[in-house]
Order: sequence, then C-alpha cells, then structure tokens
Amino acid sequence: MLFFRSEELIDQWCSSKGRPRRPSVRLDQLWQMAVTWYGTRLRADSRRPGPGEMRGIFESIGLHGDFWDPQADTFG
Amino acid sequence: MDLDTQVKLVIYWNTAERGEPPVIGEVAKHVGRPVEQVRESYGRLARNRLLVLEPDGETIRMAPPFSGVPTQHRVTAAGVSYYANCAWDALGIPAALNRPAEVVSRCEQSKEALRLTVGLDGPEPSSWLFHCEVPAAKWWKDIVFT
Repeated sequence: MLFFRSEELIDQWCSSKGRPRRPSVRLDQLWQMAVTWYGTRLRADSRRPGPGEMRGIFESIGLHGDFWDPQADTFG
Repeated sequence: MDLDTQVKLVIYWNTAERGEPPVIGEVAKHVGRPVEQVRESYGRLARNRLLVLEPDGETIRMAPPFSGVPTQHRVTAAGVSYYANCAWDALGIPAALNRPAEVVSRCEQSKEALRLTVGLDGPEPSSWLFHCEVPAAKWWKDIVFT
C-alpha cells in the first residue's frame, strides 16, 4: 500500500517489479477509508468493519469490483 | 470493561501519547494483571486483527494504523512523531488521533518526497495517488507484505 506521484509512475513501478496493476485511489478517497477504519480506534467501542460493510464502504466512495470485495474468490 | 478492551486501549493510548507502542510489562502494570494474562490477551487481539505481533508473542509490530518499527511513512501530530504501516495508515493516524498532522512519505517509483498536510477534514488537495497490489480478500493473508 504505497503512494505514487502519478498514474504513469504506478505503471512504471508495476512493470519494473512485475507486479499487477490495480486501480489507483485518490487521496480524498483514501481519507474516507482511513476515517472509516480508524476514526474510532482509540475508543472502547471501536470495531473493524465486517465484510459486507467493507463492500458498502468501498462502493460508497467509488471503488467497485472484485478487487475491493473482501469475500471475492477471483484472485485464487 | 473486559480485559482485552483494557489492554487494547492502554496500547493505543500509550502509542498515541508517545509515538511508539508500550512494552508488555507497562501494559500489565496499567491493567493490574500478570504479564502472562496480558500475553494471552495480546493473542486474542491479534486474532481479531487489532494487533500484529512479533514471533515472541509480546512485541508489537503493528497496532494499526501505528507501526512498532520504522517505515518510510512518517506522521507528526501535536509534536509527536509516528511511523505508519503503509500509505493508508499514514492517513489513518490523523484519523485515529482526530488531530491535524503532517505526513512525510515518498513516491515509490520516482522517490520524490511527499509532504502532505492533513486537517481534521482530511488532506489538502493533492494529485498524489494510492496503489495497493493485494486484493481486499487477501489483505490479512500476509499483512506485513500488504
């Protein structure tokens, strides 16, 4: 889970490392993920989102497809 | 409050206060239990994915979003410096602390430095991107690699 300056640099990194190119995420979307996962982490009643919630959270910020599905079996 | 919640809060509050996770003896002292009981609690918290432990079962490698070891993702908030486990966690730290922060990291390909100001409502406008090669269904298969 890494930062990149541009789409082209992600392409270069994936190509040079032989790693799969995945969908990129904008930092405003990443902030929504951060708040959802960690916004209550320092509280007694915090908990991690379940698989169904995770799917809903990703879809609500525009991240669709099996890559973001915690129960997908597409990737072996 | 049950022991696991007490242990979790002592770990997270101490880490938030000083930037690195406490050692198990400190946690035991805080909750007033023997170290062995706290070690068992660590195991349950790890199974619930709230901690990642070193093989000794008592050294905290990750209390997500905080890292117990140095990384390339550095976050400073209210004068305290933290290491984040990954790019996601670099924003997760200000989210967890509910404090403005400065994130320092880098582009993994060009090595250009990233310096990002994060307010209570999120990061300043930025064209930087996040990329994760591991699909969501596999994140916890090897969370250190992820």
